[in-house]
Amino acid sequence: REPPPGAEAYIPQRFPDNRIVSSKVPIFSFIHLDKSAEVILCLIIDTPTSPVTSGLPLLFVITVTAIKQGYEDWLRHKADNAINHCPVHFIQHGKLVRKQSRKLRVGDIVMVKEDEKFPCDLIFLSSSRGDGTCFVTTTSLDGESSQKTYYAVQDTKAFHNEQEIDALHATIECEQPQPDLYKIKEMTEYNTLVNCALLNLLRCAIFSKTSCLISGVAIYTGMETKMALNYQSKSQKRSAVEKSMNVFLVVYLCILVSKALINTILKYVWQSEPFRDEPWYNQKTEPERKRNLFLQAFTDFLAFMVLFNYIIPVSMYVTVEMQKFLGSYFITWDEEMFDEDTGEGPLVNTSDLNEELGQIEYVFTDKTGTLTENNMEFVECCIEGHVYVPDVICNGQVLHDGTGIDMIDSSPGGSGKEREELFFRALCLCHTVQVKDDDSVDGLKKNDFSRKSCIYISSSPDEVALVEGIQRLGYTYLRLKDNHMEILNRENNIEKFELLEVLSFDSVRRRMSVIVKSSTGDIFLFCKGADSSIFPRVKEGKIDQVRARVERNAVEGLRTLCVAYKKLTAEEYSNVQKLLQSAKLALQDRDKKLAEVYEKIETDFILLGATAVEDRLQEKAADTIEALQKAGIKVWVLTGDKMETAAATCYACKLFRRNTQLLELTTKKIEEQSLHDVLFDLRKTVLRDNGSLTRDTFSGLSTDMQDYGLIIDGAALSLIMKTRQDGSSSNYRDRFLEICRNCSAVLCCRMAPLQKAQIVKLIKLSKEHPITLAIGDGANDVSMILEAHVGIGVIGKEGRQAARNSDYAIPKFKHLKKMLLVHGHFYYVRISELVQYFFYKNVCFIFPQFLYQFFCGFSQQTLYDTAYLTLYNICFTSLPILLYSLMEQHISAETLKREPSLYRDVAKNALLRWRVFIYWTFLGVFDAVVFFFGAYLLLDNTVVTSNGQVITPYNIFFFQLALDTHYWTWINHFVIWGSLLFYIVFSLLWGGIIWPFLNYQRMYYVFMQMLSSGPAWLGIILLITVSLLPDVLKKVLCRQLWPTATERIQTKHQCLSVEQSTIFMLSQTSSSLSF
Amino acid sequence: GKKNYKADGHPSGGVGVPGGGAVGGGGGGAVKTRKPDNTAFKQQRLPAWQPILTAGTVLPAFFIIGLIFIPIGIGIFVTSNNIREYEIDYTGTEPSSPCNKCLNVSWDSTPPCTCTINFTLEHSFESNVFMYYGLSNFYQNHRRYVKSRDDSQLNGDNSSLLNPSKECEPYRTNEDKPIAPCGAIANSMFNDTLELYRIDNDTRTPITLIKKGIAWWTDKNVKFRNPTGDGNNLTALFQGTTKPVNWPKPVYMLDSEPDNNGFINEDFIVWMRTAALPTFRKLYRLIERKNNLQPTLQAGKYSLDIAYNYPVHSFDGRKRMILSTISWMGGKNPFLGIAYITVGSICFFLGVVLLIIHHKYGNRNTSADIPN
Repeated sequence: REPPPGAEAYIPQRFPDNRIVSSKVPIFSFIHLDKSAEVILCLIIDTPTSPVTSGLPLLFVITVTAIKQGYEDWLRHKADNAINHCPVHFIQHGKLVRKQSRKLRVGDIVMVKEDEKFPCDLIFLSSSRGDGTCFVTTTSLDGESSQKTYYAVQDTKAFHNEQEIDALHATIECEQPQPDLYKIKEMTEYNTLVNCALLNLLRCAIFSKTSCLISGVAIYTGMETKMALNYQSKSQKRSAVEKSMNVFLVVYLCILVSKALINTILKYVWQSEPFRDEPWYNQKTEPERKRNLFLQAFTDFLAFMVLFNYIIPVSMYVTVEMQKFLGSYFITWDEEMFDEDTGEGPLVNTSDLNEELGQIEYVFTDKTGTLTENNMEFVECCIEGHVYVPDVICNGQVLHDGTGIDMIDSSPGGSGKEREELFFRALCLCHTVQVKDDDSVDGLKKNDFSRKSCIYISSSPDEVALVEGIQRLGYTYLRLKDNHMEILNRENNIEKFELLEVLSFDSVRRRMSVIVKSSTGDIFLFCKGADSSIFPRVKEGKIDQVRARVERNAVEGLRTLCVAYKKLTAEEYSNVQKLLQSAKLALQDRDKKLAEVYEKIETDFILLGATAVEDRLQEKAADTIEALQKAGIKVWVLTGDKMETAAATCYACKLFRRNTQLLELTTKKIEEQSLHDVLFDLRKTVLRDNGSLTRDTFSGLSTDMQDYGLIIDGAALSLIMKTRQDGSSSNYRDRFLEICRNCSAVLCCRMAPLQKAQIVKLIKLSKEHPITLAIGDGANDVSMILEAHVGIGVIGKEGRQAARNSDYAIPKFKHLKKMLLVHGHFYYVRISELVQYFFYKNVCFIFPQFLYQFFCGFSQQTLYDTAYLTLYNICFTSLPILLYSLMEQHISAETLKREPSLYRDVAKNALLRWRVFIYWTFLGVFDAVVFFFGAYLLLDNTVVTSNGQVITPYNIFFFQLALDTHYWTWINHFVIWGSLLFYIVFSLLWGGIIWPFLNYQRMYYVFMQMLSSGPAWLGIILLITVSLLPDVLKKVLCRQLWPTATERIQTKHQCLSVEQSTIFMLSQTSSSLSF
Repeated sequence: GKKNYKADGHPSGGVGVPGGGAVGGGGGGAVKTRKPDNTAFKQQRLPAWQPILTAGTVLPAFFIIGLIFIPIGIGIFVTSNNIREYEIDYTGTEPSSPCNKCLNVSWDSTPPCTCTINFTLEHSFESNVFMYYGLSNFYQNHRRYVKSRDDSQLNGDNSSLLNPSKECEPYRTNEDKPIAPCGAIANSMFNDTLELYRIDNDTRTPITLIKKGIAWWTDKNVKFRNPTGDGNNLTALFQGTTKPVNWPKPVYMLDSEPDNNGFINEDFIVWMRTAALPTFRKLYRLIERKNNLQPTLQAGKYSLDIAYNYPVHSFDGRKRMILSTISWMGGKNPFLGIAYITVGSICFFLGVVLLIIHHKYGNRNTSADIPN
């Protein structure tokens, strides 16, 4: 709390207070600039529309955006406030003081009781438990439900009362806050240097579970806590639809500019005759006459821009955003995606990507926990070639109890016996499993440890399975007490081992070790890990037998681990300890240094044996993968597991079929041939077949076609990726991609987390730019989830990290099917229709305006009244399309699920291609021309006055929408007809009253006059019919002659209910007649 | 960067969510609350009607449209053909025209240039006849022109009367006096006088032209009002204003009848409703049928006397006089009937085409296998 004496260069640092602020100020994006610019233009130059006309839609857009963001902000504020105001106990001047959490400052000492949350990141000083430990759960931080033990700083753990703690005078030196939850590097300076490791840091938002008081000193507060740093938003992901939307917008901008330009030029050509520019009846004012010609032309250009700017659908962005936001609720509401077992439903972390779910071309899935249950079952162990099976489960009954061991091979000899015991002890000791410490049970039968009563908790389910399996083989791990691990051996004796060091597991090393000291004083290093990381480090043991067994198990899809040990002399151990100590204390590159030290320590092993753990497939995993493949999605499995295991899983989940020809691109193969040759060969194999077959049979998944499965491992991949510097590298990559493209399934095994992301990136940036999806459940999948276009987290056993970093989270892998095939498909169809419709309706609305300029001397006279210009996008037309885009189901959800191939119909952004876009635009232009010239010819000599044509173009939008709606619920009916009614009522009101605030009354009674004239009605009916005709015709002809799969299915259903549709057409015509 | 939000409505282990904290079967209470409701709306299972456009369903619609539209079209066409319409261009651009002498007339020529055009009606006009004047190439829809008026002045607002809107520039004031009615539209009001005579054995019988009832009722009674004040003397009420530059007389001298004078003069109201297109016609007078025995205008010779005041030659304009009867569907408009017949026929034709297509290809599609 004070600078250390003698530290001259001390720069006082500003620490934030403990306020959590996750809310943010709404920021308006560029699209509003267009409108704002318009309003400003209206204010400075003489434009055809008043500032109010232009400003109102802008205001509306801003208001809606602000309300939405405000609502989200309010939710965050509420959550923030709940945290910021919760009471916290401080120690001040030796007394306990209650204060609000937000008043906490760095350096304050806080007392936390049982079941309280830590208000900020604390350094654990002491607890009222004598041994200076506490138990916490970190569920809300990483989802791990296990209790974790944290230790107080050695020097302070003796402090017990407030006075003692208050008297503490220390300087804490720590690094700047950083978001990684599991990294902490800091030191405490308190007379002597004290190591303060991760286990001393109590992080914000975790719960205390100890029945005692904990005191700690705040080090990171407020927005600097690990928790808050982890809230930081991820990089923005934009969907393909949004990208095409922006492209279309640019096209429309060009149209807008060219329209304005054409009109400006024509205006001056037309005006070159003075009697046209200034006829006697329409004189200019003096200042107008004196204005510079070029300035005048420029002003005219801007005025035309303002006049035609309605072609840019500003409200589209709001509508799209609303649609996405509201639409995402349908995912969270989906009952089928709710998992009863875990009580978890799907989560939507971002609604920006809803429609992207309908565009997926590649799915990258993790294996463990995603495809498989991650519910481990110990199957067997192999000690020096002898296989032990703990118990045979037959008809659900356990035949052999835990103590019995089946020896399949010959019984072990004398030395074998010793190895066997060592193996079991190794498994009992080499883990990070915790025993659930149930106090009540503890009190009752303190010395009567029942074998079955222990509940093991660990972040890795493999470990639990192993410890439980070993328990059935006779060795029970009891607990860790005072740094001593207690195990109950087969003779029911308790053996104690002092835990000296834990060389914890990481996914790069793929192994973990412990150093223990037995009661006899021997120091052992036990190591367990993947075979590939153990075998190279083994110097003796029956490697060949064990390897054979491991490979056999791996083929069966079991997860195998190898166990090895080495004995350390006291001298060796002290060396090891020194090395570890120095690495742990390093402030910089600690991880790297630690890894180096581990590398040094973990050598010269003696191989003990191997274990096999079964990981069952998730329910319906095979079905889901099959459906995805039928939908034309390529499924890649990326796993850290070894090749054989992963391949077995792939067969089990039907990713590979029996007739799939497997191509291997593995280290083994590359060792035999050069990478270049391997790639060349594979490419030849793949292309030979595919050249003749695949191209034309793309649409159907023909079974007779030879399909290929590629297996690649991490080392081979890094070879392909690595040679970046020289020119040939990209060549390799292209070739690799080419092979991948022609394979129906790809399995990447032995992948480091970063490599997973690399693969995703490689595919993402390949020349077709496919849309990728990554799904995974563990922390090792986070990088790929963040990299892919859409990241999906499985709310699984390996914690919540994946779910937290994902865009969507689902409880089970099988839910992916509905997510993509149903929700994704719907959202895509909905939003693309929404976008096209918006462009259509604005073209249709504003193109007559353009045509009208030819009839009004290019004077920027508006065709529509201001009120209609203002309200057109906001009130009259936005609600029906919004509802349409929320409710539309062009085909039933069941059908979509049953027929995955329908997904291909919308693949590759099919509904937003240029062809479709141009079709819609032309439809808009056609309708506009029909209406303009129709009104020009039909209503010529009757009651048409200027602005008299408002009614006609307007109605069409409803009918167009009605035509495209395939799913008429009462809400659609209500909104479509309701909007029409609103329009009519509004028009009657607007024209029926002399509005005192308006300085002109041009619209007065025009609408009524219109309605009272017969030809107007006849004309409207005719024009609506004509304008709907081409679209109906196109739809019917396309359906009849070139039907898509979707349309075929629709037609098939149609056959069952023909009568219904005739009713539709009848009502269609009758509704035309009535309006 | 506005698209960055978390769906905070769904607690996702975010800020301070206590659920699932307990080890083992934790969060048991949360299960119930998190389970989504099984409502038709939330599960997207609302009952719906799902129409699909196929040849089979559209076919009858096409035939029906065809069958309905063709008779309607014929009906309209016949009605339109029964409407009598006669049009005379009296601009006088051709040297032979009697009005050629007036071609370059100016606003303030006194006495007005007059000319007479004789014409013959081949058919008699049976019902009430509407007399229009038509102008071509006159941009009443020019933006500068359209906005050059003050509606509150025309509505009888006294402050606007003396202080007209800026929109009226440059026809706002004249010699420091406010113009009433101000603006370009009012200033350029059509001021030709048209008179119709029937020539019967060289005797000219004037035909009664009714000048009231040509404007919309709402315009005459609501939208346009004379300024209010003491008494009904319009001259006094318009005190302090001046006449539009091009007018020969002030606004309060437009007509002798008080209920057709000032702003509520119907010729003025008709002119003030600007036309949407540069070629337009405006109602000028009504000719009512006198008795049931005689047609309103018999076939025969007529003459049109024109007091030619309105110059159009300078902007290449044309002036016309139109006589027309009307039916339930308004004036003569052959296009509507033709359009109905055409569209009906197209629909019918398309129906036939679709029928052929449906029969030829229909079976193929329904039997075609749908890829599983």
